[in-house]
Amino acid sequence: MNNKKTKVVQKRRFWQRDGFIGYMFILPSLIGFAIFVAYPLVVAIFYSFTEWDGLSPAKFVGLKNYIYMFTTDPSFPKAIKATFLYVLMTVPLTLVFGLLLAVMLNHNMFSVKMLRTLFYLPVVLPSVAALVLWKFVYDPSYGLINQLLAIFGIKGPKWLQSEDTALVSMAIVSIWGVGSMMIIFLSGMQSISSELYEAADVDGANSIQKFFRITIPMMSPVLFLQLITGLITAFQAFNPPQLLTNYSGVGGGPNYATYLLAYSIYDKAFNGFKYGYAMAQVMVLFVIIMIFTAIVFRFSNAYVYYESND
Amino acid sequence: MSVIKSKKKKRFIGNLLRGSFLWILSFAMLMPLLWMVTAALKSNSSIMSIPPEWIPKEFHWENFPEGLAAVSFFPRFLNTVFISIMCVIGQVISCSFVGYALARIRFPGRKIWFYLFVGSMMLPSMVGLIPVYRLWTALKALNTYWPLIVPAFLGSPFYTFLIRQFIMGIPRSFDDAAKIDGAGHVRILFQVIMPIIKPAVITIVIMQFQASWNEYLSPLIYLIDGKKWTLSLAVASYSTLYAVEWNKFMATDLVYMLPTLILFFVAQKYFMQGLGSLTTSGLK
Repeated sequence: MNNKKTKVVQKRRFWQRDGFIGYMFILPSLIGFAIFVAYPLVVAIFYSFTEWDGLSPAKFVGLKNYIYMFTTDPSFPKAIKATFLYVLMTVPLTLVFGLLLAVMLNHNMFSVKMLRTLFYLPVVLPSVAALVLWKFVYDPSYGLINQLLAIFGIKGPKWLQSEDTALVSMAIVSIWGVGSMMIIFLSGMQSISSELYEAADVDGANSIQKFFRITIPMMSPVLFLQLITGLITAFQAFNPPQLLTNYSGVGGGPNYATYLLAYSIYDKAFNGFKYGYAMAQVMVLFVIIMIFTAIVFRFSNAYVYYESND
Repeated sequence: MSVIKSKKKKRFIGNLLRGSFLWILSFAMLMPLLWMVTAALKSNSSIMSIPPEWIPKEFHWENFPEGLAAVSFFPRFLNTVFISIMCVIGQVISCSFVGYALARIRFPGRKIWFYLFVGSMMLPSMVGLIPVYRLWTALKALNTYWPLIVPAFLGSPFYTFLIRQFIMGIPRSFDDAAKIDGAGHVRILFQVIMPIIKPAVITIVIMQFQASWNEYLSPLIYLIDGKKWTLSLAVASYSTLYAVEWNKFMATDLVYMLPTLILFFVAQKYFMQGLGSLTTSGLK
């Protein structure tokens, strides 16, 4: 009798064991993973082979969506071109400017904290609020930029309203948010041991040598991570084309100049009710992002320096 | 002696040049915002005059009530606040539990799930857009707040990771003491861990509040009825009106920005530190 009792106390019921409790604790993420990751990954490919207007059941149509995309749809090549140009303009420039800003703000000088705050400020603003503001800033006749240019007697371009300048104007807004890169680089730089710089000083290195021989290698893991996340984000940019170049409810700019792929997906699905076709474009976007990520990873071994723990 | 002096002088001049350059640059960057503030106080005709009146001669405060009325600000403000608060609560609860389990509870498959959750951050979010939209359509949840709030209760991988990393840094002896007293995992989490990870939780509260306040795509596809709209939708649609009056628009946009700006200035420390230390710690 007594013996049995101690056994019960020692051997916990299954719901008291760590194995069970652990899974109970991570249940929210398990469900989230199933719904937002596993399920879309499994069905995404299937849906890209269907036609669905949101009302009647989805219909399997084979490769029709893909054939239409690559041969007939006039907007698709423009979307691809705009997307690549946008990524190529914004990602490298935000990385470089972010790094330069961080280097300049990593000094002990008067008002440096205030400056960091000011450069970070655009990042804090709601994306919608900032983008709609920029739309007015770019206004050809009464916007801030052209009014400023007018002081010097320059007649500014039509910015977002012209096919030639719309995408560049949009990229400038994205670079305006460089503060998010800056703040991450700053904290990365602050974790670099000052001994390295002191040793370099003893050897008589100048600040440019120190930047390329110490700062860049020590920061390479952070740069690498920011490059990857920057690429993934830029390839999926939706708010800028929707809000900056939206006139009377239609985004994408003059003659599809800012018709980024993510916006195209939204447009096909939620304005055109072609969910299956939109899903096919999602698959293309997904493959593009995967290829770019893979390339960056492939080259990372050569350039990224990981400090060893021992 | 003189070498040190000249070095000091050189550094002083360097800082002065750098400082002035950065101040001019930051002023240029913030020009749009300053312009917005002045425009919000001008009359519409003085915005449209050439050359413009840079500093308003008379303040038109009535732009604010009139602009806010044009987007029916107050009910949409309440909608946005409701969604944001629910999302914050959801993230804090779920990410704490999951983060704790991944850091402290020994269960089979712990490592695998951790890598899967972290890896899922790399998945382009566009992939889920339409399948998840179809799911909510099938559940007849369009035009409700469920699609906006439920995901928060399922925990964002990013915040979970943040909490997990933070808990990993706490010595195990802290919870062992509680374990000897017979505390279970729930009690250890709430009584021992939570007080210590407060900075991480506050970071999550701020980041998630901001994210919900700014969220645009999900409200856009899920909320059809104007009464349910969030402020982001209201402000965005106001900006596309053909005959929008700029001064009132700027006033509205400014008010929409204000909560996040206030939050930023009050809790700056968490913005500047939390984010940075997170990305660097994740690599080691």
